Order: sequence, then structure tokens, then C-alpha cells
Amino acid sequence: MLKRADKTQHSPPDAGAFAIARREPDARTSVISVEGELDLSTAPELKWTLLDAREAGHSRLVLDLSLCEFMDSTALGVLIGVNRSLDAGSRLAIVCPRANVLKVFELSGLDGAFAIFRTLEEALAQAPQSGAQAS
Amino acid sequence: MPSDISQNLPPARAHKRLAAVVALLCASSSLAFISVATGKPQRAGRTSGQGLPSQTTSTSPESQGLPASTPSDVAPVPSQPTVTPTKGHKTAADRSAGQPSSSRGDGSGRRGERGSTGGQPSSVTGTPADGAGSTVPAPATRTKTHAGVSRKHAEAGEGPHAGTGEATKGRRARRASQTGAQAQLGSTSTPASTLEASQPAASKVRPGRHGGGSGHKRHKEPKETPNEPPARERTNDRRVEQHPRANAGTGALAAIAPAGAPALAATTATAPVTPKPARTTTAASTSTIRHATPRAAKHRAPDAPAPAAPVAGGAGTVTGTSGPARRNDRPHARPRSAPAQAKPSQLVKTITRIVDVVPTPVRIIIAALLALALALGARSRLVAVRARRLERQRSQLLEDVGLLQAALLPVTPARLGPVATSAAYKPAAGPGAGGDFYDLFALADGQLAVILGDLSGHGRGALAHTALVRFTLRAYLEAGLSPRDAVQTAGAVLDRQLAGQFATVVVATYQPRERVLTYACAGHPPPLVLGASAPHDAITPITACSSPPLGVGMRTGTRQTVVSIPGRAQVCFYTDGVSEARLAGGLFGGDRLLDTLVELGPQASAEAILDRVVARTDARPDDMAACVLSIEGPDGRSPWVLLEELELDREDATSELTERFLLECGVEPEEAADVLGSARASTGRAGTVVLELSTDDGPPQVSLRRDHLAYLHARRADAGVSR
Repeated sequence: MLKRADKTQHSPPDAGAFAIARREPDARTSVISVEGELDLSTAPELKWTLLDAREAGHSRLVLDLSLCEFMDSTALGVLIGVNRSLDAGSRLAIVCPRANVLKVFELSGLDGAFAIFRTLEEALAQAPQSGAQAS
Repeated sequence: MPSDISQNLPPARAHKRLAAVVALLCASSSLAFISVATGKPQRAGRTSGQGLPSQTTSTSPESQGLPASTPSDVAPVPSQPTVTPTKGHKTAADRSAGQPSSSRGDGSGRRGERGSTGGQPSSVTGTPADGAGSTVPAPATRTKTHAGVSRKHAEAGEGPHAGTGEATKGRRARRASQTGAQAQLGSTSTPASTLEASQPAASKVRPGRHGGGSGHKRHKEPKETPNEPPARERTNDRRVEQHPRANAGTGALAAIAPAGAPALAATTATAPVTPKPARTTTAASTSTIRHATPRAAKHRAPDAPAPAAPVAGGAGTVTGTSGPARRNDRPHARPRSAPAQAKPSQLVKTITRIVDVVPTPVRIIIAALLALALALGARSRLVAVRARRLERQRSQLLEDVGLLQAALLPVTPARLGPVATSAAYKPAAGPGAGGDFYDLFALADGQLAVILGDLSGHGRGALAHTALVRFTLRAYLEAGLSPRDAVQTAGAVLDRQLAGQFATVVVATYQPRERVLTYACAGHPPPLVLGASAPHDAITPITACSSPPLGVGMRTGTRQTVVSIPGRAQVCFYTDGVSEARLAGGLFGGDRLLDTLVELGPQASAEAILDRVVARTDARPDDMAACVLSIEGPDGRSPWVLLEELELDREDATSELTERFLLECGVEPEEAADVLGSARASTGRAGTVVLELSTDDGPPQVSLRRDHLAYLHARRADAGVSR
């Protein structure tokens, strides 16, 4: 897993300062932070990181998009796929303070599919095993 | 340096050097020979009866002795003998009466003898007949072409026998091979083979060529024969033709068969010594004669015709005259043939001397080079064949792709009633290609329908699903469902079929009589709707509570917007590939697309819009598709939203998102709370309820109604869709 996380360091140059970091605040929680743009070229990395976290047995996945400048439909597809692969009743918690990224969720009608929070603290405090209410 | 060395070298070394050079030349010439032999013998044979044999003869002898000489050098050979052949030809022409020329008689006679020596009388009779026959048809049928042929033959054959000789030679050889020649060959095989080796590897080839050539001529003959009247001959001709044909194949084979092994020997140039013995043995198979002949022909060229012509008169149709003719000719032929051989043998001797000097390693190297050259040649041929095959496959694939694309991207009408329509699609260059789809068609009731979407997957895998989604939606529209109902039903139906992929779509209908546009999105950006005074009167869509895409396992088809278009307007449907095209500073975005539309004016086509987007952006990682409706009408009346629909289930009725939607629509907060309360109550009883916001002039009127979509329920596993 670390290997894949490390891969982020040499992601394509045109992706700007794209980076994915993963940390585990507690035994059952993974926080994945994305910096840069999530698009066709970087979405696969996000996918593998998320799936690694899930396979590591972390029942609570929090995706921190605070530093994500942009997200396209491919990345959205990754999130949908991961969300569906989670156990029934649990949702991917997403921290997303940026309006433009929020708009992507809204336009796609998927803002109800994820548990979306404004801040990471909020997400960590609320993101329960079963689906939290979108705020 | 090399030059110095060569100068200073002791003679032995110089010899070696020379030998090496010669060997290389030999290799190259043998390569040439191989290429000629393996290349396209048929074509060559067809192109010119002369050309081929001459070439072969030239190459083969040269391969032995004169590597430097090229076919061009050989060319003179035919010219020399021409004299004899012409005469031979004349005789043949004379003999068109059916009498084989003396020379032929000789040739046939001899061969007959040889055949007899072989021990099979049948062969004897056969051969002369063949000889005569062959000669006969040749002159009669092959008027001009035959002359050439006969010349060649003359060259190849003994001087006197010239014209007939060759024809007979080939046949003789074949005959021999057919009948008892094997025995003869068996007895004389060693000398014969040696002869072949020593003299003309070409000769072996020649018969083959010859056979091919004659066969060729034979092919020509039938065309010409009709023109040539002599009835008597015809009978002969037929006979002859039949025979030669029968013989030709075998003869060629026979000639070629021995040719292979000796040819190799010849290339190594070891064989030269033997020719004489072969000569002397009359028993030598016809092939030996052939071999001997070419040179003899050259030498005697001037002399030969004279004896040949007179004899011709006396020659019987078959073997009758052959006896005397033979006697006369033989003395001439043999002595002459001997010197003829002597010459080549000298040459060959010198070559052998040279080659003998070649040290074994050099020989090995030459052999290796030869093998390499052969291997390379074979390889290049293989590659060429493969390349041709690949090219064929590629064109087929392109055709298939074209068909597929045509099937997936429908030809849209340029105009549907009062609406000018256009659609365009630009696949991405990279891995993102292949997910967008659109359709544009008229419904039975006169409405116009638009489907535009984007499948999450890309590439070939996405193609099947794009078709599935498009046709599913189209079917529901044709069945009479509204866009929202079509999307909702398709969402329930396709959830399982899309197998993990999802599709964003926008489905719209336009009613031209009432000038009403109805559209429903599922995870897709809503269309841009501009009036005559764009961009000021562009409709700002409400994006809260958008429906999710098809295939994500969520209830979709919950939103629908109805727009009244009283005046001239433009509706642009697009996929996110357009809005997500990259500029230096970020995304192209919907606002820039709106600007582009305004710039291009009311008659802008989808193609023009996409072209402009391409021109203005730096990178387009995803497919781009666009459909544009240009609706005519009076200026000054802007489009406005008639109705917003939102279907709520129980969970939605308590959601903040729904409240946000109401607020965005302009509903007062207090009223919104009331509406949500009553919606919750309704969903408690009926499952879902449709929230309708009529924005017809003034504040929005909110009303709740039951979901009318009771007649289409997709089969679903209970667990499947609700997550």
C-alpha cells in the first residue's frame, strides 16, 4: 500500500502538484488526502489508494479534498465505484470545502451518495460506520 | 592500404585474394541466379520467350565462370545464333508442309537413337514424332514468336538441329524422363550430371525455362492456330500440341530435377572436367545433348543453317529421314560439339583453378554468406508477405471501425420541422476516447427528441454500453414517456446491465406547436438555453437535487425542467468533455461555452461550436459531443422556465438538499418548510411524491402530486437499487 502511495510522488508533471497521502488516525479509519487535480490521469491512483485502505480493513474511509483544486467525471466515477464496494449502509465520507468541487457533486446528483462535510474534524467526529447525513 | 597489400603480396596470396573476390562474385551471381530462379519465372517466361532462357543461360554459366557478366552480357548470345534459328525457322516454315527439317530429323533421330539405346522403342518413335511435331507446330502456329523461340532453341541446340533441335530437346528430355530415359540416365547419369555441372547449369535451367517458355508458347498457340490455315499441319499440330503439352510438364520437371543438384555443383565449380566423357557417351540422356548444344550453336551458327536447310526438304514427317540426316550431321555435330565444349571447359578450368586456390575457411565464409543471403532473402519475402497481410487486415479493421462508428453515431437530420438541428462529436485523442453518444430524432407525434450522454468507461468496452443506453432511452421516448420518466425507467433497468459502469445523460423533447422544451438530466450538465438577446436571457438552471447518473445504484430520473420558448432561441446540449476541456488557467467551463455560443450567433452548428472549443483550449482529455437546436421565432421574447419537477421519496422529503432546491427556485423559506412537511406526509402513504414548481409569471406555485408513473415498474431485486 505504501508503495502505491509512494507512486504519487512521480505522477505526471502536467498534473501540477498532485499528491495523495494516507494516514490512519485510528485502527479503523483511513484518511486519504488529495492535493492537486483529480482527472483522467490521476484518478486511477486515487482508486488504488482507496481500495488499498479498504482492503487494509479500515471500515471508515475519509477522503479529504480540501486541497483538491478540481475534480472531473472520471474521479467521480472512482468515488462511485469505491462507494459501492463499501459494506452496505456505509458511505464514503468526503471533506470538501471548495465550491467548485462541491458543484461537481451537486451537478452530478451525487451529493446524496456520499457523506459530505466541510471540515476534516467534522468528518472524523461524525463519520460513523453507517452512513452519516450529508451536510 | 589494401591496394598496397595486393601489390606487395606474393603470388599465392594474390591468388587467394583473387579467389576470394571471385568467390564473392560467385556468391553474388549465384544469388542473382537464385533470385531469378525463385523469383517469378512464370512472369519472366511470359514477358519474352527469349529473355528468360537467355537470362538463365547467361546467369548459370557466369555463375561458374564469369561472375561479373550480367544478363546484358549474355544478350549477345541470342543475337549470334539468330542466324541459325532463322534458318531453322525457315526450314520449319518450309516444313509447314509437315516435313521436319533435316536438323530436326537429326535431332529427333539422334534422340530417337538415344531413346532406343535406352532400350525402349516406343520412346524412339515417340521422340522423333515429337520432334517433328513440335517443330511443325512451331513454325506453323507461332509465326513470329516462334522464330524467336526457335532461335533460342537454336542457340541451345546443336547448330544444325537448331530450330527443331530445341523443341525436340525439351521434349526429348521429357520423353526420356517419361519413358526409358531413367534407365539411360541411370547408366549415363554420372557423366550427364557432370556435364551439366561443368557446362551449363543454365542448361538444366533452360529446359525448365524452355519448358515454361514452350508451354507459354503453347498457350499462345491456340490463339494463333486458328489464323493459320494449313489443314495438314493442323493434324500434326494437334498431335504435336498434345504431345508437347503432355511432355512439357514432365520435361520441365525432369530438366529441373537434375538441375538442382548439379547447379550447386556448378556454383562450386568443381564439375568442369567431366563434360567430354559425357559428350562421347551417346547414351547420355537428352539433357546432356542439350547442355552441349548451346555452345555448339554459337560456334556453328554460321555453318549450321546451310546443312539444315537442305535436309529439311528430305525429312519425312516422322523419323524416316532421320537416318541419313543423322549420318550427315553427326560427323559435323560431334567434332564441332567437342570444341564447343572445350571452350567452356577451358574457362571452367581457369575458374576451377582459381577456386581451387580458395582456402577452406574462405569457402566456408562464402557458404555462410550464401546461407545468410538466402536466409535474408527468405526473411524479406516473409516480411513482405506479412506486411501485405497486415495491410489487408488494417483496411478491414478500419472498415469495421467505420461501420461501428456509423452505427453508434447516427446521421442526424439537418432540420426537423421549424428547428434546425446539428450534432457533432470529437473523440479524445488519448485513452479517454469513446464514451460519448447522442441521438436526435423526430417522435411520432411531431415532437423532436434529443439524447446526449457520456458513459463513464472509455474505449472499446464502452461502445456496447453507449449503444445500450442510447437505444434504451430512445425506446422509452418512442413509447411515450416523458424525458424524466424515460430516464427513471432506464435507470432502474440499466442499473444491473451497465455492470459497474455508469452513464450521465440528458434527454429532451421539444414540442414545436406549443414551443415547449422538456428535459431531464441524470448526472449530466443541463443544456444551455439562450434567447435572442443572449447571453442576458440565458436560463440559469437549478442544479440542486440533480438526478444521479444511470447505473450508480441510486434512484434517478427525479428531476425535469419544462421551458417555454416563445421566440427565437438556441438550445445547446453538451457533454462534460466540452466543459472540462483544459485552458492554461483551468477548465473551459459552461460560461465560456455560453460565450462561444453568443459569439457564433444563433445559427451556430454543433460542429462549429466544437471547433471553436478546440481552438480555444489546450487539451481535451475526454470526448466532446454537442447537439444544438436552433429554434426560429420572433426576437424579443426570451425563454423562461415553466415548470420544475422533483420527485421525492421519504428520505428526500427530509433532506436539506430538497430544502435548498426549493430555496433556489425562489420559494420562501416558510413556505418551503410547509411544503416539505406535506411532502413527508404524502410520501409516508404513497412512497413517492412529485413536487411541481410552476414559475409561470410571478412567484413559484408549489404543488404536490402523486407519481403518475404506475404503469412501468422495472423488475428489480429488492436489495439492488436502493443503496
